[in-house]
Amino acid sequence: MKLLFSDNSVNTHFRLFTIAVILLFTVRLIVGRSDSIFFEILQVVLLVFISLFLLLMLINYQSRNTTVPLSLVMNLGILNAVAFLVITFSDVITSSLLDNVNQMVSDPGLVYNIVSILYVLIFIAYFAYVLIVLRHLFILNQIKNAKIYFNTMVAFFILAALSSQFFTSKSLSFVEDTFLIVSVLLMVFNSVRISWIAFLSKKEKIYLLVLSVVISVLFAVNLGNTSGNGIHSQVLNSFSPSIDNFVTTVMLYGAIYFFVLFFTTLFHLPTAEAYDRKAQEVSSLQYFSKLITEVLDFDDLAQTVTDITLKVSHSNAAWILWKDADQFITLANKNVGFVDSEKTNKIILNKIKFEKINSTKTISLSDESSKDGEQSIFELLSVSPIRSQGLVKGLLIAAKTSGKLFTNDELSAVETFSDYASVAIENAKLLEESIEKERLEKELDVAREIQKKILPDKEPSYSNLQISSVFIPAFEVGGDYYDFFELESEKLGFVIADVSGKGISAAFVMAEVKGIFESLSKTIKRPKDILIGANSILKNTLDSKTFVSAAYGIIDLENEILCISRAGHCPVLLIRNEETKQIKPSGIGLGLIDTDYFEENIEEFEVQLKSNDTIVLYTDGITEAKNDKLEDFGDEYFKNILFDGRHLTAAQLSNKIIKEVTLFSKSYSQYDDITLVIFKFGSRQQKKDGLGKQKNKLDGEKEWQSSTHQF
Amino acid sequence: MAEFNTSILDKGNVSVINLKGYLDAHTAPTLENNFTQLIGNNRFNIVVNFNELAYISSAGLGVFMAYIEKIRENSGDIKLSNMSEKVYNIFDLLGFPLLYEIYKTEDEAVNKFTR
Repeated sequence: MKLLFSDNSVNTHFRLFTIAVILLFTVRLIVGRSDSIFFEILQVVLLVFISLFLLLMLINYQSRNTTVPLSLVMNLGILNAVAFLVITFSDVITSSLLDNVNQMVSDPGLVYNIVSILYVLIFIAYFAYVLIVLRHLFILNQIKNAKIYFNTMVAFFILAALSSQFFTSKSLSFVEDTFLIVSVLLMVFNSVRISWIAFLSKKEKIYLLVLSVVISVLFAVNLGNTSGNGIHSQVLNSFSPSIDNFVTTVMLYGAIYFFVLFFTTLFHLPTAEAYDRKAQEVSSLQYFSKLITEVLDFDDLAQTVTDITLKVSHSNAAWILWKDADQFITLANKNVGFVDSEKTNKIILNKIKFEKINSTKTISLSDESSKDGEQSIFELLSVSPIRSQGLVKGLLIAAKTSGKLFTNDELSAVETFSDYASVAIENAKLLEESIEKERLEKELDVAREIQKKILPDKEPSYSNLQISSVFIPAFEVGGDYYDFFELESEKLGFVIADVSGKGISAAFVMAEVKGIFESLSKTIKRPKDILIGANSILKNTLDSKTFVSAAYGIIDLENEILCISRAGHCPVLLIRNEETKQIKPSGIGLGLIDTDYFEENIEEFEVQLKSNDTIVLYTDGITEAKNDKLEDFGDEYFKNILFDGRHLTAAQLSNKIIKEVTLFSKSYSQYDDITLVIFKFGSRQQKKDGLGKQKNKLDGEKEWQSSTHQF
Repeated sequence: MAEFNTSILDKGNVSVINLKGYLDAHTAPTLENNFTQLIGNNRFNIVVNFNELAYISSAGLGVFMAYIEKIRENSGDIKLSNMSEKVYNIFDLLGFPLLYEIYKTEDEAVNKFTR
């Protein structure tokens, strides 16, 4: 297959073609006009080969160049005109070139041989090209086995032509007749298959109509000119009667084909417009659906929508009436000024309820104009809703001036485009949202980064106090904060806080809160006063919606005293002697109210620590952790777990709690930050019994231990 | 989860806002709009009914703080009613009972204004 189409094969075909022509020429030159059956057959065989090679060359050429059917038909017209001229003037030309044609035919010389061979070649080329074009048009129909149908027909042409030469006796003429009849039947059968014209536009069809009648007539005229006993048939017959017959048969086929083509095109003409419209609609839709995925700019899309709507609905103008935050605006005007479209918009909004329109409607304005005072230049409108998330966001309007109606096709086309516009807008929205989401995620990354830097990266270490802290950030940064402050003379200050709100703003407040506690803890001795100071700062800096819940405490390791104050934060839990106590001194959240009122309402709680006291600080991320039934982890459950784990070390206990919380909320995403700080106190007597060392082993923090000795 | 809506009912010179669903950072703007609207209409006597509120986050609590000053300046108030125990605990932790009057029933809260 590949060989056939390669350049090599073309060259081979051309070489073989040339050899066959030279052979024919030589045979004719040497033998002259002979009645010998051998030479007759030899000539026929050579002619068949010449035709075959020419056909193959043409097929190769044809398959490599994609051609429009119409231009092929046009070529055929030109070729026929040339053939017509050649046939008509062959008498004149040959007689002027050669003195005595009749004599020449019977007694050919060198010049005559050259001329006659050229003449035959012209007609072989002629029928070869005609066959190729008709074959191409026939294959365009895309029917099964098209090539076989066509080749069968050509085979019968050849058989009919050959039989006319070799079965000359009267008794055998039925053979030729039979082949001829079958050939004609096949011609008619094949000529009916011309569905390819359906895909032509109206203009092209009119063009084809003219062309086909001309070509059909030319074929018929050529057929008439050649069938007589003129110089044409004399020359061809001198080679072989078959070639003459074959040319005639092909001409007949051409005449029938174009005759049928003419009438079929004629009958297709009335529907051509509807077909054109459908074709345009389909191609517009294709174009538009491609556009939807590529163009995400709403204005560009709007322009395209009205542009295509205008074309497909054959309207005089098109535009979009868009509702933008309770205001109606006009978009993407096509063939209409803003003044006219806005006038018309007013009339539309008077006639229909914008939100209620749910399918394409036509509105006649011819009677409306006088009533309203506002005159529209249009008489008929088609109005289609453009929806987004179930709501009418805009109207796609196509308008016609007087005397024109919308066909059902046009209306459905407009409706289709309004639907497409809806999809496009939805797409644009989704894109916007995803960009926004990405921005938010970037923001959250920043917030997480801030939070990570703010929180302590390790706990201080004391020989008689185990400290364990766990922080689990939520996807959306929650604003949890905790910190430790190593104060003078074996005193440990600690704070736990939760900024209201989430995200980057919460993270910034957190940073501010850290700064406040860092500095206040250095200068102020009592937890209550630190919180009062923090409140007066935050009340001035935070906006009225934002506040911070916090608890601040100091553990005096020397005197074994815990002093704690609370500002709106979750209670502090103290587990002692098989009992869990809530330490919940009064106190309002930071940043909510003025210093005076805050000061009035804040209390301080002080307790003498005992050995094995466990102090638990937490944020509501733990107690408000939710399971798949949206149930809270809850205070009670939390207390129970603490109670069960009261004999564990601080680190073990916090592990246990985190494990329980994670298990509980495994099917529900963590909504808030989780912060848990546990202190476990061991009295001085137990200082050297390994608790401290065990703690150090757990953390592996030698550095901190050495630094604690300074205090 | 983020289901939240409100309805406003006028009872004489008192406006009652009924809350329903989950009030958090994402749904808070709905309630903020309610307050802005009431203040815009010079209705400063407001009762918020928590009967159908399932959950309130810290950001939800912030909404009440944002408007209380302006309302009290205009000798009005926000009173809260019908809180579930869970919601009350959240308010209580933050010390809100010190800042707002909280009543068991809506009528009780409304009557406090009319008296």
